[in-house]
Amino acid sequence: MRKNLFVIPAILLVASFILSACGANTASPAAGGVSGSNGTASTLQAAGSVEINGAGATFPAPVYTDWAYSYQSVDPSVVINYQGIGSGGGKKAIIDGTVDFAGSDSLLTPEEYASGKDLGMFPTVAGAVVLIYNIPLAKGVANPATPLPVLVFDRQTLVGIYNSTITQWNDPAIVALNPAWKDYLPAADITTVHRSDGSGTTEIFTKALTSFSTDWKAGGAASIEWPKGNNVGGKGNAGVAAAVMSTPNSIGYVEISYAISNKLVFASLINKAGKTVVASNESVQAAMAEGKFSDKLTATIVDGASDGAYPIVGYTYLVLHTSSMTDCVKAQKILEFFKWAETDQNASARAVTLGYSALPDSVKTIVLAKLAEVTCNGVPVLK
Amino acid sequence: MTSSSGKIALGSRRRLKNRKISNFVMLFLTGLLTILALVPLFWIIGYVVYKGGPGLNLAFFTQLPRPVGIAGGGVLHAIEGTLIITMLAAIFAVPPGVLAAFYAARNPNTRLGIGLRFSTDVLAGVPSIVVGLFTYAFLVKPMGHYSGLAGAVALAILMLPTIIRTTEEMLKLVPQSLREGSLALGAPEWKTSMNVLLPAAFNGIMTGILLSLARGMGETAPLLFTALGNERYDIRQIVTSSIQGKQGFFQMVTRIINQPMDSLPLTLWKYASQPYPERVAQSWTVALVLMFFVLFLNIAARLWLENRARKLRG
Repeated sequence: MRKNLFVIPAILLVASFILSACGANTASPAAGGVSGSNGTASTLQAAGSVEINGAGATFPAPVYTDWAYSYQSVDPSVVINYQGIGSGGGKKAIIDGTVDFAGSDSLLTPEEYASGKDLGMFPTVAGAVVLIYNIPLAKGVANPATPLPVLVFDRQTLVGIYNSTITQWNDPAIVALNPAWKDYLPAADITTVHRSDGSGTTEIFTKALTSFSTDWKAGGAASIEWPKGNNVGGKGNAGVAAAVMSTPNSIGYVEISYAISNKLVFASLINKAGKTVVASNESVQAAMAEGKFSDKLTATIVDGASDGAYPIVGYTYLVLHTSSMTDCVKAQKILEFFKWAETDQNASARAVTLGYSALPDSVKTIVLAKLAEVTCNGVPVLK
Repeated sequence: MTSSSGKIALGSRRRLKNRKISNFVMLFLTGLLTILALVPLFWIIGYVVYKGGPGLNLAFFTQLPRPVGIAGGGVLHAIEGTLIITMLAAIFAVPPGVLAAFYAARNPNTRLGIGLRFSTDVLAGVPSIVVGLFTYAFLVKPMGHYSGLAGAVALAILMLPTIIRTTEEMLKLVPQSLREGSLALGAPEWKTSMNVLLPAAFNGIMTGILLSLARGMGETAPLLFTALGNERYDIRQIVTSSIQGKQGFFQMVTRIINQPMDSLPLTLWKYASQPYPERVAQSWTVALVLMFFVLFLNIAARLWLENRARKLRG
C-alpha cells in the first residue's frame, strides 16, 4: 500500500516524458541539423549544449525571444533564454551575477557601474514612445462628416499637459495645433496617465519632456514624482492603455510596438525643427542617426534637431561583463548571437516587423567595434 | 372547554402553517444563495473555456513557443516545468512536513511542539513573493543562476504549512485507543506511527498533500525570482545533448533541474502582459490548461481516495 505514495509523482514524471517525446518531431527547427553559418566550431558541439540565460527590460523581450528562436538554425549548439523582468531587475541580476547578460532601457548609474565592476552597455534596437488618447465627443455635438485626423501636439503643449498647466482639451494651445478638431475638442478636464511601475518607457518620455522645456521640473527617470494634477497610473503598457480606454478625456504614453500591434491611434508631434512627424521606423532612424555616444556607448536621442526625427525615442541596451566573464565558450556564444542580430538582414527585418527600429549602419559600426573589445580571461572573445 | 381546545388546535395549526412558510422561505433563500455561491466557479470555468478553448490543439501540448507572428507553437516548456517544479517541491516538502506533524501530534504540549505550531501559522501567513525573494537571496544568488530547483524550494516552503497542519489534524482524529492498543501489544513507538497511525490517517494526509500541491502549482510570485522562466526549455533536447556530450546520468539530471524553467502560471502572467493580441489569446488557453491540471489533480485524488476507502471497507 505504501507504493501508492509514489503513484502520483510517477504519473507526473511519465506524463512529462511522454509529452516531450511527442514534441520530438516538431519542437525545434534546429532538429534538422542546419550547420553553423560561418563554419565556426559550433558545428562540432552537440545541439543545445550551451545554455545562455538573460533577463531584464520587458521592452525588447519580444524581439530578443524572436531572435533567439531564429538563431537556432544558425547555431544549433546554443540555447538562448531571455526573460522580461524589468530593467531594474535585469541590472540587479547582472550585478549579482545570476544571469549571463541583461537587457535594460535605463542607463546604469555610476553606483551600478561601481558595484558591477566591468559592466558595459551596448545598444541593440530602438523604439519610440507614442501618445494615445481618448476624447469622446461632447453631448449634442454631431459626428464629424469625415473622420478626424490624429491629434498633433508640439513640445511645449505636451509639457503643459503633463505639468497640468493646460487642463482642458479645448485649451487655445491645443485648438491652434488642431484646426480640424475645433468644434470637437470638449471643455473637459484632461486626465494624464503614466506608468505606475518603474519603467524605461517613463525614463525616455520624461527625459524628452525635460529636453522639451525648462518648465518641466520633475526630471527624467524610470519613475518620478509626477506634478500635482489630474493624473492616474497604470501598470505596464497594458495598464496605461486600459486606463486611457476607460477614462474619458485622458491621454497616456506607451511603446510604439504596443500601440501598433493593438491598433491604437497615436498622436503626431511637432519636433525641434518645427516639422510634424509621425512615429515610424524612418523617424526613429532619423533620431538615431544624429545621436552622439558617450564613452560608455550610451546616448540620449530624445528631441533630435533634424527634420525627420521623432522626438521621444530611446535605445534599449544589452548589459554585459566586459572583462570578467570566465566561461569563454559562453562569452563567445553571447557575442556571436548579438553580432548576428546586428548584422543579419532577416534579424533586422523581424525587429522592424515587431515595431522596433534596427540600428543605422553608422551606429552598428560603433557597437560592433565595442563588442570586439570584450575579453574573456584576457583574450578578445570575438576573433 | 371544547371551544377553547378548538382554539388551541386552530392556533397550533396556524403556527404550523407559519412554520411551513418560514421553512419554505428559508430553504428557498439558502438554495438561492448556494447557487449564487456556485456561480463564480462555473462562471470562471465557463469563461476560461470560452476564451481559451479555441486555441486548444495537440501542438499546444507538444511544441515549444514560436515567436509572435509565426503561427502554431505551444507551451510544452511550461507543462514540463510545472510538472518538474511541483514534483521537486513535493519531494522537498512532504517528508519533513509529515514527520514534523507526527512530532507535533505526539508532543503537542512540549516547547518544541508549541513552537512548531506557532511558526507554521506564521509561515502560512508570509506572502508568497517574500518567500521568492528569500529564496533568491539564499539560493539563487549564491548558486549564481536562476533554476527550477530554486523555484521548487520556494514552493516547498509555501507548501510546508498546509502539509504540517492538515497532517497534524488528521493524526489527532485517529482514536487514541488504536495507538494504545498497538503500544500495549509491544510495538515500538515508530512502528506504531508507521503501521497504525499513518494508514489510519492516510486519506486525510494525502488530501492535504494534494491540496498543497494544487496550490503550489498555481503560484506565480515565488517563481519570478527563482525559476525565472525559459521559453527554450525542452527536456528532450537536454537529454539528447547530454547523451551526445557523453555526460553521466547524474549530470543529465542536474542539467534538467538546475536551469531556469517556466511554469504555466508564470507563462500565463508573461503572455497576458505582452503587447501582442495573439499572445494574450494564448494566455487564455494557458489558463485553461492550468485549470484543467489543478482540477484533474483534485478529482483524481478524490476518486483514488474514495476507491481506496471502499477497498479498505471490504
